[in-house]
Amino acid sequence: MKLTLDNVCCMASISLAQKFQKHTFAFIAMPFLNQLYALSKRNVILRYKHSLIGFLWGFIKPFIYLLIFIVIFSAQFSSVKNYVLYATSGILFWFFFSNIVSQGIQSIIQASGIIKSVKLPALLFPMAEVTTELFNLALALVVYFVIMHWFGMVYTMQLLWLLPMLFIFAVFSFSIAILLAAFNVYFRDIGILWNTIQPAIFYLTPIAYTEELIPAKFSFVINLNPIYYYIKLFRFPLYEAAAPDMMLFLKCTGISVVTLCINTFIFYRLKNQFITAI
Amino acid sequence: MSLLAELQHVSVRYRSNPAGIFSVKDMLTSMAHPFQTKEILHDISFSLQQGESLGIVGRNGCGKSTLLRTIAGIIQPSKGRVSIYGSIAPILALGAGLEPELTGYENIHLLLSLYGRKITSAAIDDIASFSELDNVTLKQAVKCYSSGMLARLTFSISFSQHCDIFIIDEVLAVGDMGFQAKCMQKISDLKNEGRSVIFVSHFPDEVEKICEKAILLEQGKLIYQGSSSAVCQEYKNLF
Repeated sequence: MKLTLDNVCCMASISLAQKFQKHTFAFIAMPFLNQLYALSKRNVILRYKHSLIGFLWGFIKPFIYLLIFIVIFSAQFSSVKNYVLYATSGILFWFFFSNIVSQGIQSIIQASGIIKSVKLPALLFPMAEVTTELFNLALALVVYFVIMHWFGMVYTMQLLWLLPMLFIFAVFSFSIAILLAAFNVYFRDIGILWNTIQPAIFYLTPIAYTEELIPAKFSFVINLNPIYYYIKLFRFPLYEAAAPDMMLFLKCTGISVVTLCINTFIFYRLKNQFITAI
Repeated sequence: MSLLAELQHVSVRYRSNPAGIFSVKDMLTSMAHPFQTKEILHDISFSLQQGESLGIVGRNGCGKSTLLRTIAGIIQPSKGRVSIYGSIAPILALGAGLEPELTGYENIHLLLSLYGRKITSAAIDDIASFSELDNVTLKQAVKCYSSGMLARLTFSISFSQHCDIFIIDEVLAVGDMGFQAKCMQKISDLKNEGRSVIFVSHFPDEVEKICEKAILLEQGKLIYQGSSSAVCQEYKNLF
C-alpha cells in the first residue's frame, strides 16, 4: 500500500484530533501535520508537473547564477580561494530564502478557494511553502555534495551543523514570508515590490563577492542585513569546514526568534479579515 | 433531540471599500475613509436541533454564503455568538478547494487530508464510484472537467465525510438529472441517519423537500423564519 505512512499517522491522530481541535496551538496535532504534508506534496507536484528535469532545477538554477558570476566577476575574484565553493554555498541558501518568501507571499491569496470553504489555520499555507523548499533544498544539497567534491569541498563532521542552521534559517524565512503574505492580502503591491527589490537585496549581501570588498564606510549596510549573518553562518561548515562562530550562531538564533514572535503577532492581528480581501 | 447549532445575535462586518483596497493607490485615493466597514449580516439568531435541516433562501448577495461561512467557523462574527455542538463538513460549493492543475485522484487525496480525514483506498473507491467518473477522467487534470463533473467530484468528496452537519451551497443545479436524483437520495439518507443539512438554494421546491425549517435573508437581516413551506412562500412573494 502506497499510503501506509499516512494511514499510521491518521490512526494515531484520531484521538489526538478530538483533543486538539479547539486548542490554539493546533500545529502540534497530527491532523495539522497531515495537512502540511498534503499541501507540501501538492506544491512539489505543481512546481515540476510539466518540467522535464524536475527537482534538478533546484540545483541548476544556482549553478547558472554561478556561471554568470564567473563570467562577469572572474577577474576580481581570482584571489578568493575556491570561488566556486564560496559562491555556491551562498547562492543555494539565498534561493532557499527567496523562494520561500516569494512563494509564501502568494500562498494565502492563491489558496482562496480552500480558505473560503475549509476551516484551516492560515499559517498552514506559508508553512507548506517552507517544507516544500526544505525538500527541494535537501535534493539540491545531495547534488551539491557530490559535485563540490571536485571544487575542493572537505567533508567533516562539522557538516552536521547544517541541520540546526537550516532550522533557524527556515524559521527566519518563514517569519519574513508570513509578514509579507499578510500585507499582500490587502495590498497586492507587496508581492510586486518584493520581486523588484529582491535582486537589490541579493547584491547587497556578500554572496557572490567577499565582505572585504565593501568599503568601510558602507559596512553598516551589510551589518543591517540579517541574511548576511545566515549566509556567513552556512559558510563555516560548507566552505571553511570548521565549526561555526558560536556568537554568530546565537545572534542568528536570536534574530529568528525575535522576527518569528513579532511577525506572528502581526499576522494574527491581520488574519481575521483575510477572508474579506481574498 | 439535542441542540446542534445556535446563533445568537450574530453580526458580521467586512472591511470594505467602494473601490476595494487592493493596492496602495486605492488607499491613497480613498484616504478619507481608508477602511470602511460594511455590515454583511445583522443580528441573526436561530437554532438547529439534532437531525433537523435548515434551508436558507434570499436574493443574490443577501449574505447567504457569508452566513454559511460563519456557521462553519471560517468567518468570526464581529458581534454575537456562534455555538456548534457537533462536527461540520466543509462547505460544499462548486469546485471549492479543487486544484485545477492536479488530477482528480490527487485532488481527492489533497482535500481528504485537508479535511483531516483518513485516506484509505476504500474511501477513495467510494468517492470514485459515487461520482460515477471513470478512471480515465479521474486521472485527468481537473482543469479539463466540465462544471457538472466538478460538481460530481466536490459532492462526492464532501459526502464521504462522517459529520453531524453538512453545508450545501447551491451546487445541485449543475449536475445532470441522474446525479441530482442521486444527491437528493444521498441527502435523505443522511437525514435518516440523523444528520443535519444546511441547504442554500434558489429552488424553493428543493428547499421544501429537504428542509423542515428555513430562514429568509434580506440585505443581511433575517426577515422571516419558520417552517420551510411558509418561508418559501414568503420568498416567492419577494419577486
